[in-house]
Amino acid sequence: MAKKLKAIVKLNIQAGKANPAPPIGPALAGHGINLMQFCKEYNARTQNRMGEIIPAEISVFTDGSFTFVLKTPPAAELLKKAAGIPRGSAVPNREKVGKITRAQVREIAEQKMKDLNAIDIEGAMRQIEGTARNMGLEIIE
Amino acid sequence: MADSPQLQGQDSPAGWLEVSLVVDGELAEAVAEVFSRFAPEGVVIQSTGVIQDETGLVTETGPLKVCAYLPEDSGLGDKRQRLEEALWYLGRIKPLPAPEYTRLHQKNWAEAWKAHYRPIQIGKRLLIQPAWVQEILPGRIPVLIEPGMAFGTGTHPTTQLCLEILESFLQPGQNVIDVGCGSGILSIAAVKLGAGKVLGVDVDRQALDSARYNARLNEVEGLLILEEGSVEQVLAGDFKLRQAPLVLANILATVIVRLLDQGLAELVTPGGYLVLSGILEDQLEGRDGYISVLEALSRHSLQVVETRQIQDWIGLVVRRI
Repeated sequence: MAKKLKAIVKLNIQAGKANPAPPIGPALAGHGINLMQFCKEYNARTQNRMGEIIPAEISVFTDGSFTFVLKTPPAAELLKKAAGIPRGSAVPNREKVGKITRAQVREIAEQKMKDLNAIDIEGAMRQIEGTARNMGLEIIE
Repeated sequence: MADSPQLQGQDSPAGWLEVSLVVDGELAEAVAEVFSRFAPEGVVIQSTGVIQDETGLVTETGPLKVCAYLPEDSGLGDKRQRLEEALWYLGRIKPLPAPEYTRLHQKNWAEAWKAHYRPIQIGKRLLIQPAWVQEILPGRIPVLIEPGMAFGTGTHPTTQLCLEILESFLQPGQNVIDVGCGSGILSIAAVKLGAGKVLGVDVDRQALDSARYNARLNEVEGLLILEEGSVEQVLAGDFKLRQAPLVLANILATVIVRLLDQGLAELVTPGGYLVLSGILEDQLEGRDGYISVLEALSRHSLQVVETRQIQDWIGLVVRRI
């Protein structure tokens, strides 16, 4: 019988820099898991990717144990890099902050395919396009 | 006394403001992106419900809670206002609920976990005791542990299995090799249970710092060899001990299989025992696409003489002929 799962917590955090301060501390301490063990293991597995945001998806079990897997960077991060902008638009419906080509969207969709709950690449592209619009990015051919 | 290897939190504001928003999966990433502009340290996306079917497959159900933490400093009011504006604009594209705010006092969250860490009686004789607990339990051999940045606090079933097996199999004066010693808990327990020479190795320098700290805490540092390395270095004779009648490897199934291929069993004196733990029940026979530990053992002509289990975790005692 598999272990009983209590919660799934996804942390979008900076590679190699996990520490017990917020957001990690309050997000995990409440589940009674050993915080330092998570930080140590996350940092060990992401230290070759410093400067990137590498999400960790943590499965917390009822006995206080946990496992985690690393995910691809958030779509917003990949979009910012592709469009060469530091941040999304504060007013995405009015002020566009950059442009991104459909080919770039496809590339990001392919990279994130395994983490998106999309059936095919077109579905994944639609999700990435949605994020792009929410950030004030214009999609061009 | 040496400094504790424990990492402390960094520069601390007086408190934090937790901002959270419960949204469906599709919006979670967009909200997380808005939050991350104001909370560069990171954003949390938490399930509000999970279901797990009998095969272990997990599905998130219901909406997701997105959280960020803003430090309570002079810029908080302005940041909060700009965050609300950004959420309002996002809400124009797709409707959003209002964010919720909760004040949090600054505290050491790593320390908070220690409140769950209490003395643990293991087997017939051992007592794993947090370093700061003073009480003495008559008839029990205390092993003091400062839970730092290393594995092995005695709370995990795999460590408990290894400690129990160690207690039953160790003959007085026997040498012991502990591969992947982590916090040093098994090596220290071996010394205290009357082992001869004990060698603990780990590939992680932080683990060795922690093991050395714990060895001093237990006043056994002179009786214990702690070195950075793994199976290959031990086999090459880099350390004072090359073989022992009792070898412990409490790691993970995949690592154990790899170490077996590197000659883990050759560390055991013929006729001696290899103790393996960190193996989930499903990994024993390689169910559900897991690597099979039993298959690896038979490949190396090793025979299991005893199997113990706590919850889903397995501890194996293997004899080298």
